[in-house]
Amino acid sequence: MTAHRDVFENVRRGMIPAHIYNDDELFACEKQRLFSRAWMFVAHESEIPQDGDYVVRRVLDDSFIITRDSAGAIRAMFNMCLHRGMQVCRAEMGNASNFRCPYHGWSYRNDGRLTGLPFHREAYGGDQGFPKDGQTLLPAPNFASYNGLLFINLDPAAEPLEDFLGDFRFYLDFYTKQSTHGLELRGPQRWRIKANWKIGAENFAGDMYHTPHTHASIVDIGLFREPKAQKRKDGATYWAHRGGGTTYKLPPGSFEERMRYVGYPDEMIGRIKNVWSPQQQRVVGEDGFMISAATCFPNLSFVHNWPKVRDGDSDDVLPFISIRLWQPISADETEVCSWFAVDSAAPTQYKKDSYKAYLMCFGSTGMFEQDDVENWVSLTTTAGGSMARRLLLNSRMGLLSDDRPVIEALPAGSFHGPGRAQVGYNEYNQRALLKLWADHLERDQAVPRKVTA
Amino acid sequence: MRKPLPFSDVQHLQAHQFLVDEAYLLDAQQYELWLDMLTDDIRYVMPVRVTTARGAGFDTSPGMAHFDEDKYSLSQRVARMGTEHVWTEDPPSRLRHFITNVRTFECDDGHLEVESAELLFRSRGDVNESALLSCGRLDLLRWCDDRWKLACRKIIADESVLRMQNLAVFL
Repeated sequence: MTAHRDVFENVRRGMIPAHIYNDDELFACEKQRLFSRAWMFVAHESEIPQDGDYVVRRVLDDSFIITRDSAGAIRAMFNMCLHRGMQVCRAEMGNASNFRCPYHGWSYRNDGRLTGLPFHREAYGGDQGFPKDGQTLLPAPNFASYNGLLFINLDPAAEPLEDFLGDFRFYLDFYTKQSTHGLELRGPQRWRIKANWKIGAENFAGDMYHTPHTHASIVDIGLFREPKAQKRKDGATYWAHRGGGTTYKLPPGSFEERMRYVGYPDEMIGRIKNVWSPQQQRVVGEDGFMISAATCFPNLSFVHNWPKVRDGDSDDVLPFISIRLWQPISADETEVCSWFAVDSAAPTQYKKDSYKAYLMCFGSTGMFEQDDVENWVSLTTTAGGSMARRLLLNSRMGLLSDDRPVIEALPAGSFHGPGRAQVGYNEYNQRALLKLWADHLERDQAVPRKVTA
Repeated sequence: MRKPLPFSDVQHLQAHQFLVDEAYLLDAQQYELWLDMLTDDIRYVMPVRVTTARGAGFDTSPGMAHFDEDKYSLSQRVARMGTEHVWTEDPPSRLRHFITNVRTFECDDGHLEVESAELLFRSRGDVNESALLSCGRLDLLRWCDDRWKLACRKIIADESVLRMQNLAVFL
């Protein structure tokens, strides 16, 4: 990657060559060096609750069937028939004991085993010509889960998922572990935007600075009381290994009072206290920070906000959680997959209201998200021209010219989570994300393991 | 098969005119006037379509929609359009709601059920390609205050992955 050495050097000092947001050559590198060996989110276990349930998901161009097989085991199998390469499953969700290829009728159990091969004896001479036993759809090279989140890694030699996530797991739990019952996902809503995938990932990772301006309309109409400029900069950003996010500073109070302030009912708070560690509870209860948006490298983001979901003078708010994937299509196009997530043990009315809160704020119709995407599309379009190759975007917020911080990082006593945390407007997380991006793109090209049938 | 009202029926003509008048307001982004065409108990839903096997028995995402609105949330969306900070519609999109295939059915309780097909054309700026959204609609019209009002709308998108940057529009 010597050709792009200048790009990576600039990125590392927080000066972003604008063309990285719309560059076909760099996108080809991202495919070869980044997406081919990072852990890529594909689904959540709750999307396939029953034996035989499946969803079909892509890791860029590769289609995988994610099944819960008839014995209850969750699997990820490459959606390509061993014979002529036809997709054996062309629906995106359903329940099936078998997948039968429409081309020549080869069929596979929902655990991937090849079971049916028409005219096996006549056409192949039976097992002498083509031994059927042991043949399966190709399993994903690496497949693992955390709190029910299912990830695929195309690199068979990838580090374990838990190591990849590292200390970011501490923050992932806030979104994905609110009881012993686990999360329930709905969706995703899917739509395509003419924007580079990195922009959304960076925005969710750490852009507290955009909230008061981009989302001014949300405050204008009284939907969300928090994004006022003064409040947003009192929040902290944090970065821990492979992910980071933003928080809001809550008014004084105990853990319970602050969870109530954002709208959690007492019975949910009780369950949350049973599963969050004392350190995790201290981030809210002592430090006073409540998680908002976050990104797990490379392209998985989360959001947790608490808007007002019904009419009236009351100030009642209710939280929602959304998980979203910035699925890269090309240098200038992304498919957004946006799920609504809620603790499966939550009360029915809470689930209903939280879903409503999600729809009003995020997703294809969300009033926050609408204005985000407008910015990202415009940015991507402009980044494709030749002038963008002469422009370094300043992404050094929070740093003085000699790299000393504008505001010192929070000491451990004021922030009980792992990693580095920082109060105020800054771009530490966007820089951390793009540094990881540069590190991956500078590594040698991943060599795919040879597979023989 | 249910029989629609003949095209010459006055109730069909009224329903058709309702949809055409509504499309005019949506094209012109006169959303306050549009809100006034909806009943206070309006339910406005657009499920997420999914690709499923023939015979699966469903083709929408269980429990998930693009829109699942009541009067409060629709009013908030309209109120937002009236602020000075609605960047996604400033400059505004050029919109055209094409409405066709209108069939009207009379219900026992005086409501009209109206089916229609809709093609939305949306153009923004002068660089990116314009976007199209094709859908079917199933409406319930109620006679109140001496005119028809929309009491329920179900929008059936014809795509599983929308090719539009957002739904800062109404269908």
